[in-house]
Amino acid sequence: MSAFAHPEVLVTTEWLSENLFDTDSVRIIESNEDLLLYATGHIHNAVHIDWQTDLQDEEVRDTISSKQFERLCSRNGIRPDTTLVFYGDRSNWWACYAFWTFKLFGHADCRILDGGRAKWEAEGRVLTTEVPTLESTAYTASSMNPSIRALRDEVLVHQSNGGAMVDVRSPAEFIGEVTHAPGNPQSEAAMRGGHIPGASNVPWSRAANDDGTFRSRDELAAIYIEEQGLTPSDKTIAYCRIGERSSHTWFVLSYLLGFDHVTNYDGSWTEWGNLVGVPIETGEPE
Amino acid sequence: VTSRLQEIADEFQSVPQEMRVELLLERARQFPPLPERYHAAQEAGLGRVHECQAEVYLFPEIVDGGVTLHAAIPGHAPTQRALVGILMDAYEGASPDDIAAIPNDLLRRLGVDALLGVQRQRGFGGVIARIQHVVAEAARS
Repeated sequence: MSAFAHPEVLVTTEWLSENLFDTDSVRIIESNEDLLLYATGHIHNAVHIDWQTDLQDEEVRDTISSKQFERLCSRNGIRPDTTLVFYGDRSNWWACYAFWTFKLFGHADCRILDGGRAKWEAEGRVLTTEVPTLESTAYTASSMNPSIRALRDEVLVHQSNGGAMVDVRSPAEFIGEVTHAPGNPQSEAAMRGGHIPGASNVPWSRAANDDGTFRSRDELAAIYIEEQGLTPSDKTIAYCRIGERSSHTWFVLSYLLGFDHVTNYDGSWTEWGNLVGVPIETGEPE
Repeated sequence: VTSRLQEIADEFQSVPQEMRVELLLERARQFPPLPERYHAAQEAGLGRVHECQAEVYLFPEIVDGGVTLHAAIPGHAPTQRALVGILMDAYEGASPDDIAAIPNDLLRRLGVDALLGVQRQRGFGGVIARIQHVVAEAARS
């Protein structure tokens, strides 16, 4: 079986259990959909970073600013050379989103706990409610890495040039029957259902095993490259409804399959489905 | 607004924001188990709320015009347990009309709106709509 393109960005539960107390060089970060889950018990020495209240600025509807990012890192005792290990609920959706945000701000060493919170718990490993006391730092962000983020105008140009895109939502959302995931509140609903013309539909979950770990490189290549015809050297845009499930696929394509240039369109369908004057397509893919 | 909801809102509003997290956690811990008589229905997949990613099951019961809401929500969804638990408590014995009138700014009244963030607030709006729907259906039958 072939190794992942960048195997160093994944850590196993075994590795993490051996590095729990290395708070000098490793910071464990839990990011969940559920706001309270961290407080009910978390991995020893893990800090909590919330996708909405820590990583997004709701007033300007954007990611936080560089200054806010530096403050977030400083109060969690993170230095530019700290190894960050992200994990969370829902097969690491929000862990991948947090990973993506930290990469956007140029943090060097980010990793994902393969299998996330569910695997750690399923293996009967210890959780604690004790919140770690960490000495704060004076984090200075390196330069931004905007090349991993797609903004709507870039998506429009990419789309009109016939660029590769992966819509990672459920088939019902892709076809346009519904504007939100089956089993998800009608929040962030868009005015229209459908997808960006030219996108392939590969639901994010096809990249994950039942225990939340990532599928092997060969299995992933069979889906994205052989079945969907995506090319690792082509610029590829991933999107979903609000940019979290697509962070998971962005991670898979960039780090596990080694695609050269994958961007996450975090505005996603919530933005595109509401924009005036942009093309959409409904129904089954051609 | 039922008087019980007002009491709960007053309790939340009387403490600072960080203590409201503790109140929610307490509510999540105290979330009542689903009565055994509904276990078979839950296993058969009845009562599943399809607006929710967490496996939420709702079973409304109406006796002499008063509604009791039973629910099953897994422990790994403490926020849902806390918020649905508040509704179950605040509307115990209320009429279907009261439930149809659950205020849509409930989370603001509890002072937990900023804590949860905009997207979670909207998500919970979907849960309230589902509760209102199942209660209205039960009242009709």
